[in-house]
Amino acid sequence: MIQLFGLSESASLLMLAWLLPLVGALVLWTFGPWLRAFGAWVGTLMTAGSCVAICMLIPTAMSLHGGRASAGLLFSLVTWLPGMELGLWLDRLSLLWALVITGVGALIHLYSIGYLAGDRAIARFFSYLNLFIFAMLTLVLSDNFIGLLIGWGLVGLASFLLIGYWFDRPSAVLASQKAFIINVVGDIGIMVAVFLLFTHLGTVSYLETFARVPSLDPTTLFLICLALFVGCAAKSAQVPLHTWLPDAMEGPTPVSALIHAATMVTAGVYLIARCAPLWDASLAARELVGVIGALTALTGAILGIGQWDIKRILAYSTMSQIGYMILGVGVGAYSAGVFHFLMHAFFKAALFLTAGLIIHALADEQDVRRMGGLGRRLPFPAVAMTLGTLAICGIFPFSGFFSKDAILYGVLSQGHRYLYGIALVTAGITAYYMFRMLFMVFAGSYRGDVAPEDVGITPLVALPGHHHAEESSHDAHHVHQHAHHQHHAPAWLMQLPVALLLVPTVFAGFLAVGGDASLWARYVAPLFHTPIAATESIPLGETTSSILVLLCSLVGIGTAYLRYATPDAQRFAITRLKYESMLMPAALREAFWFDAMIDRAIVRPTRWLGDVIDRWVEPVVIGGMVHEAAFSARWLGHLFRSLQTGFVRAYAFLLACGLAIWAAYYATLGGVR
Amino acid sequence: MSATELNATIALSALLLLIGFAGLILRRNPLIALMGIELMLNASNLAFIAFARWWGNTVGHIFAFLVITVAAAEASIALAIVVVVFHARLQTDLDDVSGLKG
Repeated sequence: MIQLFGLSESASLLMLAWLLPLVGALVLWTFGPWLRAFGAWVGTLMTAGSCVAICMLIPTAMSLHGGRASAGLLFSLVTWLPGMELGLWLDRLSLLWALVITGVGALIHLYSIGYLAGDRAIARFFSYLNLFIFAMLTLVLSDNFIGLLIGWGLVGLASFLLIGYWFDRPSAVLASQKAFIINVVGDIGIMVAVFLLFTHLGTVSYLETFARVPSLDPTTLFLICLALFVGCAAKSAQVPLHTWLPDAMEGPTPVSALIHAATMVTAGVYLIARCAPLWDASLAARELVGVIGALTALTGAILGIGQWDIKRILAYSTMSQIGYMILGVGVGAYSAGVFHFLMHAFFKAALFLTAGLIIHALADEQDVRRMGGLGRRLPFPAVAMTLGTLAICGIFPFSGFFSKDAILYGVLSQGHRYLYGIALVTAGITAYYMFRMLFMVFAGSYRGDVAPEDVGITPLVALPGHHHAEESSHDAHHVHQHAHHQHHAPAWLMQLPVALLLVPTVFAGFLAVGGDASLWARYVAPLFHTPIAATESIPLGETTSSILVLLCSLVGIGTAYLRYATPDAQRFAITRLKYESMLMPAALREAFWFDAMIDRAIVRPTRWLGDVIDRWVEPVVIGGMVHEAAFSARWLGHLFRSLQTGFVRAYAFLLACGLAIWAAYYATLGGVR
Repeated sequence: MSATELNATIALSALLLLIGFAGLILRRNPLIALMGIELMLNASNLAFIAFARWWGNTVGHIFAFLVITVAAAEASIALAIVVVVFHARLQTDLDDVSGLKG
C-alpha cells in the first residue's frame, strides 16, 4: 500500500508515476556533474519506477464505472478558475500511451546507458530523457486541454533539447531549432483550438467538452478540428509540416527511437483518438485528416526509397507509418489506428535501436552504401532488423500485419476507396524501401573499406541547414567519444532492450486475432462509438483485403530483392550503388522540395520583412520617436530653466503674483458665500 | 466693532501689506527685505485680529499667535542665512546671491 499526502492509493500511484520522471530530471539536472555515469542508472530507475506504478494501476484504469463515459481514474489536481478543475485522467486510452511511454521508455533508457557510455554529459542526457517522459505523461494523462497544451509544449522542448544534445555539432543545433519552430506552429494550432472551445463551450475539460459537442455549429466545429489538426500535423510529422522529422535524426539514436518514432510523434494520433467525439461530429474534418494521413503515408514511403542514411530511411518510414495511423483515426477506424500505434511503438523502437547497434559497431557510420555484408559480423542486429522489417512491412504473422490490415480495412469500410488505394500502394513501397535497407546493410560484402566516392558518396560542401551536411562530419565528430565505448558498457545493456522489444514485435499482433471477441477489441470497445458502415457496401472482404496487402508487400520485397540481393546485384554492388546515387531523381534527393518551398514561402519573406524593419522601421520610426522624446524633454527643460532667474526678489514677485491671482479668484468667482 | 471701523482696519492692514511688499521687492539689502516680510506678516496679524473682533470669537487670535511664531522662526533662519552669506562673500546684496540661476 502506497499512500502519499493522504491521497487514496490509486491517486498516490498516479502522482508517483507522473512525478517520478520529473524528480529524476531535476535531480539529474542539479547533481549531474557529481553523479556522472551513475546518473544514467538514476534516470533509468525513475522511468522504470513510473512504469511499475502505471502497471499497478492497470485494473483501476480499465474499470468502467458501469460503462459511464468517465471510465478509469479521474483525479483533480487544482482549480484553475472557479468551476474549472485541472486534473489527471487515466482511462483505457491514456493507459495505453502511458504504458508505452514508460515501458518502451524504460527499455530505451537502459539501452542509452550502453549507447552513451563515456559521453561527457551523460547525466544531462538522462535529465532530458526524464523530462521528456514527464512531459509526455503530462500530455496523455491530462484530463483537459490546458494540461494537454502544457504537455504538448514540454515534449517539444524536450525534443529540442535532445536533438541538439550534441550542441557542438552545427547540424544538430540547426535541426533542433527547426524541430522546435515547426512544433511551435503546431502549439499555436492547439492554442487556437482551446481558445475556440473555451469561447463557445466555456470549458476546457475533455468530458464536459464532449458532452457539449452537439451545441456547436458545424463551421466552428470544423475550425476547432482544423486547429487541433494543425497541432497534430506538426507534432506527428504530417505533410507539409514533416520536414523537421528527418533532420531530427541528428539526435542520439535512442532519442530517435523513443521520441521520434515510438512516442512523441504519435501524440497527434492520441489527440485525434482522444477527441474522437469532435471528429465524429465533423465529417469534413475527418475527410481532411484522412486525406492528409494517406498523403503523408505515401510521401514518406516514396521519400524513403531515396535515402542513404540508415536513420533517415527509418525516419521517413516513421513518417509514413504515422500517416497510416492518422489515416486510420482520421477516417474513424480509431481502434485500428491506435492498435497500429501500439505495434509501431514496438517494432519501430526495435528497428531504431538495432540501427543504433549497427551504427555503434561501425564507429558512427550511418550511410548504408558503406555497410553491406554485416549479417555474419553482427548476427543479433541482423536477426532483430529482419524481424522488425517483416513487422513493419505487414508480413503475416508479425505485429504490423494485423494493425496495418485493420487500418486498411477500416478505411475501406468507411467508404474511402481512393484512400484505400493509396494505402495499398504505400504498403508495397514500404516493403520495397525497408528490404532495400535490409539488403544493403546485411547482404553482399562489406563496403566500409571502399572509398566513399566509389559508392557514390559525394563530398558535400557543408551548407548550413542542408540535410546532407552532417553525414561527412559524423565520423570526425564523436569518434573521440566513441573510441572507448566498447570497453565501458557490457553488450547485454544494449541487446537486452532490443530483445525484449522483439517479443511484442513478433507476437503482439495476435492480441487482435478473433474479431470482436479478441482481447484488443474488448479492450477498446468502451472507448470509441463510431458506427461502421454496413458490410454489404464494402467491395472487398477482410481476407481478400489482407491478401491484397500481402501481395503488394511481396511485390515490393521482390523488387528490392531483384535490385539489391541477387548474386549479380551483389557482385556489382559498388558500381550499382554509385550509379544509383548519381542517377537519383532530384525530386527524391531534394525530398519533393518541401524544404525549398517552405524556404521560399515563409523563411525568405520573413527574412525580407526583418530586413525592412531593420533598415527602415527601426532607425526611422522607432529611432525617430526616441529622438523626438529626448528633444522635447530638452526643449521643455530650457523653458522651465528660464524661470529660475536666481534673483530672490523676482521669486518674491512671482510668489506675490500667484497670491494675487488666487485672491482675485476667491474675491470674484469662488470664495465664501 | 462697527463696519466702518472694520473697513478702516482692513484698509490699514492692506496698506501695511503693500508697504511691506514694496520693501521686499524694491530694496536690495537683505535686512530691509526681511523687515518688509515682517511688516507683511504683521499686516496679516492686524487683519486676523480685526476679523476676530468682528465675529466675536478667538480663531483670529489663535492664528495671530501662530503667525507670530512663524515670523520668529522665519526671522531666525533668514538672519542665519544672511550671516552665512555675508561670511562667504563679504557683501549682502540680494541680487548678487543668485547661485541657483537655472
